Amino acid sequence: MEDLLEAALDAAVSAGASYADARSVESTSEALSVRGEVVEALERSDSEGFGVRVLVDGAWGFAASYDTARESAASTAAAAVEVARATATALERPVELVPEPPHRAAWSSPLEVDPFTVSVEEKVGLLAAATRALVVSPAIRIARGTMDVLRQRTIFLSSEGAAIDQTVTHTGAGIEATAVDGSEVQTRSYPGSFRGHLEAGGYEIVRAMDLAAHAERTGEEAVALLTAPHCPAGETTLVLDGHQVMLQVHESVGHPTELDRVLGMEAAFAGTSFVGIPDLGSLRYGSELVNITSDATTPGGLGTFAYDDEGVEAQRVDLVRDGILVGFQTSRETAAAAGADRSNGTMRAEGWENFPLIRMTNVNLLPGRGSLDDLLADVDDGIYMATNKSWSIDDKRKNFQFGCEIAWEIKKGRLGRMVRNPRYTGITPVFWAGCDAIAGPEEWRVWGTPNCGKGQPGQTMRVGHGTAPARFRNVSTGTAQ
Amino acid sequence: MSGLRVGADEARAAAASILDWPGTDGVEVTIHASNAGVTRYANSQIIQNTERDELRVYVRVVTGGRLAIATTNQLGRDRLERAAAHALEAARSSLPDEGFTGLADPGQVGRAEAIGRLDDETAGTPATNRAAAVRAILAATNGASAAGVVETGIQAYGVFNSNGIDCFDSFTRAIATALVDDGEATGWGETSSHAVTDLDWEAVGRLAAQKAAAGHGAGDAQPGDYEVVLEAPAVATLLDYLSYVGFGAKQVIDGESFLATRTGSEVAAPSVTIADDARHPRSVGIGFDFEGVPRRRVDLIDSGIARGPVTDLRTAAQMDVSPSGHYSGSNEFGPYASNVVLEVGDQSYEDLVGSVDRGLLVTRFHYVNVLDRPSTLLTGMTRDGTFAIRDGAIAEPVRNLRFSQSVLDALGSVTGIGRDLHAFAPDFSSFGSTVAPAIRVGRFHFSSGTTH
Repeated sequence: MEDLLEAALDAAVSAGASYADARSVESTSEALSVRGEVVEALERSDSEGFGVRVLVDGAWGFAASYDTARESAASTAAAAVEVARATATALERPVELVPEPPHRAAWSSPLEVDPFTVSVEEKVGLLAAATRALVVSPAIRIARGTMDVLRQRTIFLSSEGAAIDQTVTHTGAGIEATAVDGSEVQTRSYPGSFRGHLEAGGYEIVRAMDLAAHAERTGEEAVALLTAPHCPAGETTLVLDGHQVMLQVHESVGHPTELDRVLGMEAAFAGTSFVGIPDLGSLRYGSELVNITSDATTPGGLGTFAYDDEGVEAQRVDLVRDGILVGFQTSRETAAAAGADRSNGTMRAEGWENFPLIRMTNVNLLPGRGSLDDLLADVDDGIYMATNKSWSIDDKRKNFQFGCEIAWEIKKGRLGRMVRNPRYTGITPVFWAGCDAIAGPEEWRVWGTPNCGKGQPGQTMRVGHGTAPARFRNVSTGTAQ
Repeated sequence: MSGLRVGADEARAAAASILDWPGTDGVEVTIHASNAGVTRYANSQIIQNTERDELRVYVRVVTGGRLAIATTNQLGRDRLERAAAHALEAARSSLPDEGFTGLADPGQVGRAEAIGRLDDETAGTPATNRAAAVRAILAATNGASAAGVVETGIQAYGVFNSNGIDCFDSFTRAIATALVDDGEATGWGETSSHAVTDLDWEAVGRLAAQKAAAGHGAGDAQPGDYEVVLEAPAVATLLDYLSYVGFGAKQVIDGESFLATRTGSEVAAPSVTIADDARHPRSVGIGFDFEGVPRRRVDLIDSGIARGPVTDLRTAAQMDVSPSGHYSGSNEFGPYASNVVLEVGDQSYEDLVGSVDRGLLVTRFHYVNVLDRPSTLLTGMTRDGTFAIRDGAIAEPVRNLRFSQSVLDALGSVTGIGRDLHAFAPDFSSFGSTVAPAIRVGRFHFSSGTTH
């Protein structure tokens, strides 16, 4: 691949590019779904290709191809330059990149057990054992276990002399039980919803989940939800489990602090942001307890790497400190707009075929103090919600409505009866201002979101969020029906 | 753009090299090739401009009643053979699948005919033409800041199997969108067709600019139930989600779809007819599914009565019906209605608005999500052009609202359907289309507002 990429760079520069980078991606993935005693899906995917990104007279061009024969380097580079020249015909402000030293490095994400060395029989057997244990009642209509494994090698070369070779391995699994009674449908998942939970690492992650041990409880809760009372409506104290805090951080902090959104570059599709550059250092985003970082160095995170897809070194930066907005997620093109002389390294592309965009790396809510029980103990009357189920937020990331799989009333510091279809709504800065407790490091873990969508053409990205359970006062709760 | 590099003959030859792979009881090869250019603009200039050449080959293998899939994105014989070997190895390690009824057999399902929704000019649109289209859109926005895309491309699909299934089809699509932000309000315009010459760039920009200009001085609308006119983009979004939660046979069998309990019942107003129809003149699709079964038109809601669902071989056997040709490629998700059409009515846009005493006009929805599948309850936001309607006329603009509404309940209170059809591409996929007119709905619930 390196020869191909070198040839592409040479061709791009010869054709007039003032900057060029060439990135190849070789990936292998395995997706497994077991439902009951049936393998619903067993798919192994291989992909390879490369993309060439160029600046010509301050205008971007990008072309990509699955044809990795050396001869395609020149044609793909030429296509990128031609596209850039077309861009220049509708360009007001030429692109300028802030500098980054041209790094030359190789890096691989750590793992203990290579998931590709584990047999399909073992994987199927593990999931089948868990799905059998999910079926605690005839009301369970769907008992499903899923497992996903990805290995991706990215080679990045630039006309500035960067040469970076990185390999990541991501592994995850999960179980879900769907109970049905007439037109009432309830789903309960473990350890998280929408295909479980993924981390950077190997098969040790799946083994540590111990899916079978949690299956019975998961199935029982799905059945119990069918007849649980609806979540009461009102303004109350809300405690969220770490999984839901992940979604809260993702939608209401991660996305609005992507600088390309702030600058209007995502306006037509995903929207813009309620925060602007003048808000840096002054906007109160949340209570003083709220500290949020963008951290591409977090161990085990899906957003962890050594260098982003522009060759910028992985960094940890503050986005919100003591409740005040202090940072954005930036790129070499956008960093200067926020007064920075260096990108904080958040550019990633899905695959070889896409143009990199600012993507969340690991956007983490830093831990506070105490256990989940400590958070509950200070609640006289409230709701505890767990495991994300639905999410919707406006195009500036302010008005949101999020739903969870399950909730319990909190009465005098203790969990009470289970309630179903819980949802809560809020306006982002008002909601975060009501955060009056965050559980401590003992409750903090790094969750993986494998399906963050952004861009046109649409790209899906794997991002991480380190979170702990958290408590919020004066939140509007209710039922999703 | 250079157009596709894989035609029917090349796809067939590639598939043929592994259809009789040793150790298998059956092999199916699906080939997807595409060449597309997306010119993205924001802040009234092109910010990203991409062209890409893609290929995906799915090899599904059957052995001893066990299945597995391996995919590659290379067409070389060695890579195809490696995929076949991987798929066979995985299948041997899997569990028997008693619900699998076998690969499609043309003697039983018939031979699929290509639709050929193809336009050569669209397939070969160069980046310079897309840039010119962006300039035309920008010229129509009265100097306001604009963002959107101009996209052109061609997709081809071939399905071949060891039973003799042999089908190939391709389509082109052009898309233009414009979001205008004039500093006080935003407005939206979009258009899509299989042929780039059908698209009027200036009209897209002009409409978005007009909506933005009309949006100045927006006030709050109180949450509650409203009579609404939903423009076609908003209707298309509701139809997409209705398809996702309700029109597939697997969701019916599992009890998650409204069709599980309401097939044959009235679920919408009598004026509402919704079908999955890849051959509709405005649809963009192919003539077969990803098992090679001919794709039939399926009446999903017929004059307000629930019919459907769409099926694949597996779910058709479970339901004891003929397969409709809607295998999605995912046994986990099941068959999918990917070319939904809401049939036109007879009302002009003025008719739709003119019959509303007090209501709202919604241009489009944003970030819609599912709250409850059986009841088709969704939530989402309005954006880019929401207006009060008063005494049959569009009145003052209002700030965006969150809705919480069952799609079926909304369709049950439809009082008017527009006579102008619009075609839409999916937001996050290159396959499928949605065709819809504007509609007037008697009751639509908004649960809260926002600050813009």
